[in-house]
Amino acid sequence: MLSEIAFYGALETGLIYGLVAFGIYISFRVLDFPDLTVDGSFPLGAAVAAMLIIAGWNPWIATGAAVLAGMAAGAVTALLNVKLNILNLLASILTMIALYSVNLRIMGRPNVALLTEETVLTPWYDLGLAFHQVPVLLFVVVVFISLILLWRFMKSETGLAMRATGANPRMARAQGIATGGMIVLGVALSNGLVGLAGALFAQSQGAADVTMGVGVIVIGLASLIGGEALVTPSTVVRALIACVVGAIIYRLAIAFALNADVLGLQAQDLNLITAVLVTLAIVLPGVRNSVIGKFTRKKA
Amino acid sequence: MISASDLRLTFGKGTPLENPALRGMSLTVNQGEFVTVIGSNGAGKSTFLNALAGEVIVDSGQIIVDNQDVTRLPTHKRAARVARVFQDPLAGTCENLSIEENLALAIKRGQRRGLTSAVKKQYLGQFRESLSSLKLGLENRLGDKMGLLSGGQRQAVSLLMASLTPSSILLLDEHTAALDPKTAAFVLELTEKIIEEQKLTALMVTHSMKQALEVGTRTVMLHQGQVVFDIAGEDREGLEVKDLLGLFEKQRGLEVDDDSLLLS
Repeated sequence: MLSEIAFYGALETGLIYGLVAFGIYISFRVLDFPDLTVDGSFPLGAAVAAMLIIAGWNPWIATGAAVLAGMAAGAVTALLNVKLNILNLLASILTMIALYSVNLRIMGRPNVALLTEETVLTPWYDLGLAFHQVPVLLFVVVVFISLILLWRFMKSETGLAMRATGANPRMARAQGIATGGMIVLGVALSNGLVGLAGALFAQSQGAADVTMGVGVIVIGLASLIGGEALVTPSTVVRALIACVVGAIIYRLAIAFALNADVLGLQAQDLNLITAVLVTLAIVLPGVRNSVIGKFTRKKA
Repeated sequence: MISASDLRLTFGKGTPLENPALRGMSLTVNQGEFVTVIGSNGAGKSTFLNALAGEVIVDSGQIIVDNQDVTRLPTHKRAARVARVFQDPLAGTCENLSIEENLALAIKRGQRRGLTSAVKKQYLGQFRESLSSLKLGLENRLGDKMGLLSGGQRQAVSLLMASLTPSSILLLDEHTAALDPKTAAFVLELTEKIIEEQKLTALMVTHSMKQALEVGTRTVMLHQGQVVFDIAGEDREGLEVKDLLGLFEKQRGLEVDDDSLLLS
C-alpha cells in the first residue's frame, strides 16, 4: 500500500499537473491548437522562478515572472502559427526546442538547487502542519483560485469569443472576432499556467532542472483525457474539474503502480506507463463508439 | 449602401488550374433593397459574397460599404457592417455552445468584447422574445447546446443571430439549399419577414430562378464573373423563369445549355 508521504506526494504533483492540464485544456480543447510548447515552458517557469529567488526576489513575484515568461513562450508559438502560417504543431515544436537553449542560458547550468532559499512554501511551514501536508494545502488554494478565474474568464465575452474561435473560426470571424488575436491570447494563457506549474514544481522539489519538462505534455494530456473520461466535460466548470481530478488520479495511479511490488515496475518505467495509458485513453472511447456504431443506425 | 466596382479575382494564378472567378464585377445595392443573385455553377456568386464579407480579398476593384472603403479589410473588421448566413446550417453557429451563448456572440458582432459576463441577464428577455418569433419553442431551451437542434432550427437561429444587431448589408449564401423543401420554405418565409420588419438591405444568392423572382425587390444574374443582367421594379413584375432564360440568351447571344441554370 501507499505510505502517507507517498500519498501526499502524489497529491502535490497531481495538483501541479492540474495546472498543466488547465493549460492543455485551453490549447487542445478550447482552441483546438495542439501545442507542445509546454515541454519547454514548464522548465522555463522553473528556471525563471529559481534564478529570481536566488537573486533575492520575493518568491511570489518570482513566480509571477515565471507566469509572464510562460505567456511569452506561448505567444511566440502562436505568432509563428498566426503570422508566419507555420503549422501549429510544428510551430510549438520549434519554440519547445528553442526553449531548451533559452532555459540553459537563464540558469547558466543544467540545474539549480533551491533547498536553502525562501520559497512560496516557507511561511506555511510555521502553521504546525506535517511537513508533507504543507505543499498540498498551498497548491489546493492556488489550483482553486486558478479554476475560478479560468471559469469566469471562459464565461466572459472574450472567453466566449475564444471558445468560438476554436469551435468554428469562420463563424467567429463573421461575428467580428479577430481569431488570430484569440489564438495568441489563448496559447499565451495556456503556457502562462504551465509556467506557473513549473515555478511551483521547482519550489516544492527544491530544484530546477533543464530536463524536467520532458514528457510534461504527455502527462498533461493523460490527466486531461483521463479526467474527461471520469467527469463528463459537458460544461466549462466540469471540464476544469476534470483536469484536476484527472491529474490527481493519474499521479495516484502511478504512485500505486510503482509501490505495488507484484507488478515489478520501477521508476524508470514511468514514461512507458504514461505513454501506454495515454494511448489507451485516446483509443478506447473510439473503439467503444465503433462497437456501438455497429448496432445503431447512423443518423442521416 | 454597398457599392462594388470592377472587382477582379483569379484563383490559382500562374498555375494550370488558374480560374478567374470575378472578371470586372460591379454592383450597387441601395439602402433597403433586397437583391436576389442567380447564376450557374462557377458564375462567381459565392466568390462575390465572400469578397463582400472579406473572406477573400480581391485582386483589384473597390468595395464601399456606407462610404467606407473596406476592400482590403479582413472579415472581422467588416463584421460590424456585414452580417452573414452561410449555406451550411452547421457553419453559422457553434454546436458545443448553448443557444444563449451563440446569441450572446452575435449580439456583440463587430463590437469590443470585454471581461464582463457574456450572457448578461438583460439580454435574456430579448433572446426569448426573438426566439419565440420563430415559433419553434426554442425560447424555453436557451441553455441547450446548439448541436441538439436540427439543421432547419439552426439555420433559423443563424438568421436571427445575423439580425440581432444592425448591419449595412445581410449576406445570404444559398442559406436554404441544404434544407428539406418544407424547412427551406419556412426559413425563406422567415427571411422575408425579418428583412421586411427590420428594413434590412440584403443580398441573397439562390440556385432557384423561381425563388429569385418571387422573393426580394431586384434580381441580378451573374455569368463568368460579371453581372449579365440586373432587373428591378416594373420590369421584374410578372416575370417568369422562361422570360429570365430568354433575357439571358439575348444578353449573351448564346444558347443556355447549362442544366444547373435551368433547375428551378
